[in-house]
Formats: sequence, structure tokens, C-alpha cells
Amino acid sequence: MGGVSAPGGPDPRPQVSPGADGGGVVDGRRCRSCDEVSAFAWPACPACGGAVDPASFGPFGTVWSATVVRIPVPGRPPPYRLAYVDLDDGPRVLAHVVTDPTADRVLPAPVGGRVRLLPTTDDGDLLVEVVPA
Amino acid sequence: MSTVSVHGVGTSHFGRQPERDLVALAWDAVREAFADADVTGVDAVWVGTVFGPPGVAQRVLRAMGVTGIPVITVENACASGTTAFLEAHEAVRTGRYGRVLALGIEQMSTAFAGAITPEPTDPEGRSGLALPALYAMAAARYLYDGAVTPAQLAAVSVKNHAHALHNPRAQYAGHHTVEEVLGSRMIADPLTLLQCCPTSDGAAAAVLAPASGGSREVGVRAVALRSGAPWNHRSPHVWGHDVVRDTAAEAFAAAGLDAVSDLDVAEVHDAFTIGEIVTTEALGLVAPGEGGKAAESGVTALGGTRPVNPSGGLLSRGHPLGATGLAQLAEIVWQLRGEAGRRQVDGARLGLVETMGGGVSVLDGNACVVAVLEAP
Repeated sequence: MGGVSAPGGPDPRPQVSPGADGGGVVDGRRCRSCDEVSAFAWPACPACGGAVDPASFGPFGTVWSATVVRIPVPGRPPPYRLAYVDLDDGPRVLAHVVTDPTADRVLPAPVGGRVRLLPTTDDGDLLVEVVPA
Repeated sequence: MSTVSVHGVGTSHFGRQPERDLVALAWDAVREAFADADVTGVDAVWVGTVFGPPGVAQRVLRAMGVTGIPVITVENACASGTTAFLEAHEAVRTGRYGRVLALGIEQMSTAFAGAITPEPTDPEGRSGLALPALYAMAAARYLYDGAVTPAQLAAVSVKNHAHALHNPRAQYAGHHTVEEVLGSRMIADPLTLLQCCPTSDGAAAAVLAPASGGSREVGVRAVALRSGAPWNHRSPHVWGHDVVRDTAAEAFAAAGLDAVSDLDVAEVHDAFTIGEIVTTEALGLVAPGEGGKAAESGVTALGGTRPVNPSGGLLSRGHPLGATGLAQLAEIVWQLRGEAGRRQVDGARLGLVETMGGGVSVLDGNACVVAVLEAP
């Protein structure tokens, strides 16, 4: 999935720290006022503007939806798998999904299935693996 | 405060036109709108564009002698053209200016070979979430929930390509089958090529002024704009649904609409097939979960009880981002005047325009505009 051309400026994607057993956790925020969770270290709550505290989310979550991008995007050779993942008790994040190199055809991750967040790719993308049911 | 009418509209042809510049495209739209309104000038201009370079508004307007007046450029992604319309409407309504031009312009073919390059300063854009993939996520969730079938998704494309057969300004048109749509190249599962809007160049314009009772004036009953709130695990709906629903509620209340069923014709944001399905449900044109069935059964086709996108929509007319909202508006103006030719909705009295802008992760859309218009 590599080969992203590196645009200038700070990386806007969520930051991931190492978790237990080789997993990863998102370094996000939780709102003191409305309890909204966010995957980003933004200065205020995106829902209410309230003050936020650091909070970690993951590594486990459920796939809300998933797709495979089959068109070229600059720096990203297709196909690649994407999923919106609802981290347990945490925010919804966009993540790439580990591809099984032995699969005949790259298919979307199963919607409703369980996944585990891993450390980011070398390119800085969030990455999840499907957890066997 | 004035009641505002659309006095004239105009558009360019829509399609890949890399050999024509924005001056030529904008001239087609403005010349037609001025002639349609029987005017030779305006007091101010709002211009909607997304990828236009700095100064593009003044650059195209000076080429047609529209100079020395206030020119304001706005950007709200795909809703930029309707945002320009909303601002022009408010300027006339409040008396800030007497006669205002709303202009949308966009040249995509010289900027992108295919899909729009995801914005690298946006977290999800940096992660490779091309816009087809964002809509694909909504479609995949609808399929998972049993709220749509693949054939119903395809039916939107079949319908809108057939509508465009009667629109000489459309980029594409054709008699497609559901099988052809589903069998076209996969772009982002489950959306195939014929379920995605094309890369388009074009311009569209409208002249707004106080209502004077003219026989060709189309009244603006209301127009509303919202930007999205956070869209996340707390929402039971797919991306884009809630901001469309809330913007529509505001516009319908301001328009004094008794019932959504009073609307005779609608142009809505079908950048991808799933977009029309979600939007018709969010607007209340069809019941929740009925958007796909409505496309499949002909309810939203010309001749159906809720005709949607008679122009061919973004899928077939084309989607030059900043121009799209005003292209939608032009179609509704023609429909309400009875000037839409073979795609005319018979006796249309009330029409709706809905445009949806995306591309800001975490938000449920970066802008949605809904307008309600009334026949002369």
C-alpha cells in the first residue's frame, strides 16, 4: 500500500501509539462538556466547542462500512481497502485494511465484522486487520 | 425587504471541453442569462468555484465587460454555485443590491485525469479517501442494512441517463440497462463507473432581482444553507443524510410549504447513485428506506409521481463542481416556466434544488443548500 507522495506540512491524520500485543491505539480527545470523542488532537470539541482531554481509543472496533478503491489516486496504486471503523467506546475512524496477499481478488472488509488497529503504515495511514470470528 | 425572483438563467454546454477556457464557458452562461432576463448589466456578482485559480471571477467577468462593481467569490465544494445563489438572493432580498448575477464556473478536465485528487490537508483525503469511496461507504452500508439492492442503485443511473436523452446540454445520455450499469468497471465497491458522475467543464448563471410580476419570473420561495455537524458513530444515518434533512426542514419552513408532496419536480445531488437515494429519503420526497424502490419502480422518473433530476442530474448532465448548483437551478426555472421541452414535468408549479458539498472529514458534509422555487 506504500508509495504515497509526501505532501508538505504537518500530517493531519490521527496519531497512533503502540498498544498491547502489537496493536495500536489512537491518541484522541474526549470532551469535558458533552463526552464527544474525537480521533484528533484538535483544540476544542468538534460537537460543542468545549474543552477536551487526551484520551486513547482502540485497538478493537467494528467495521461500519468498507470499500475497495480501484481507481488510481496519486501515490496510491489500486486496489486498496478502506473501512470506517467504530472503535470500541471511541470515535469512527477511516483506516486501511490489511490485504491478504494470497487472496485471488481484493474484497472489502466485512461490514459489521471485528477489526484490530495496528501501528500506522510507513506512510502514516491508520491500519486495521480483520479479527477472525 | 423584497420578494426575489429569478429573472433569467443560462448555461454553457456541459462536458469535457479542455479546448475552451473559462472565459468562453462563462460567456455562454452569462450571455444567455442576461438575454433571458432582458438586461445588459447587474449591480453585483457572486461567483461559485472550487478549483478556479485566484482572481478567476474577475478574469472571466472583465472579458465580458462586467467590471467596476462588487464581485465576491465563494467556495463551498459542490454547493459553491448554490451558495452564490443564496448570497445573491439575500443581497436582493435585503436591498443591498438591486440586481445581482450568481455565476458558477468550473473546469475539471484540465485539472484531473479522473477522480478529484483527495485533499492532502484533510485527514481522510490524506488517507486516500477519494470521493467515490466516500459515497461507496454509504452504498455499502445501505446494502448491509438491506435498505437498497444493487439493482436499485443501478436504476438511478438508468433513469438519469434516460432523462438526459432529452437534454441537449447534457454531457452523457443513453438507454442503459441495469445489467450494463452493474457490469461497468468497478470504481469503489459497490459503485461502478456508470454510477459515478463524469469529469465536466461548464458554467451556469442566474439573474436575480425583486419580483415585479413578470410572466417569466420564477419566484424564490426560500433558500437555506447549512454546514455539517460531526458525523460519527452516534448517527444512525449514512454520511450526508442529516445535513440534507436539516437544511430542507429550514427551507421548507421558510417557504411555508404545507407538505413535501406539494413539490412537483426536484433537481438533487446525484454525484453517485447512492447520493440520489439518500437525498430523496432525507428530503422526505420518499419514505425512509424507499429511495431505491422509488428509482426502480419509476416513482422518481419523468412521468412518475415524484420526478427527480429530469435534466439527467450530475450523473448524466455532468458535474462541473462550482457550476452544478446553478445548472440545477436553471433546469428548475425552465421546468417552472414550461420551457423544458421533451423532459417537461407537466404543470410543474413548485420546484426544489438541493446541492451537497463534501470533502471535509468528520463533518456531515461541508455545505448543503436547499431552494424552493415557484412558477410565474
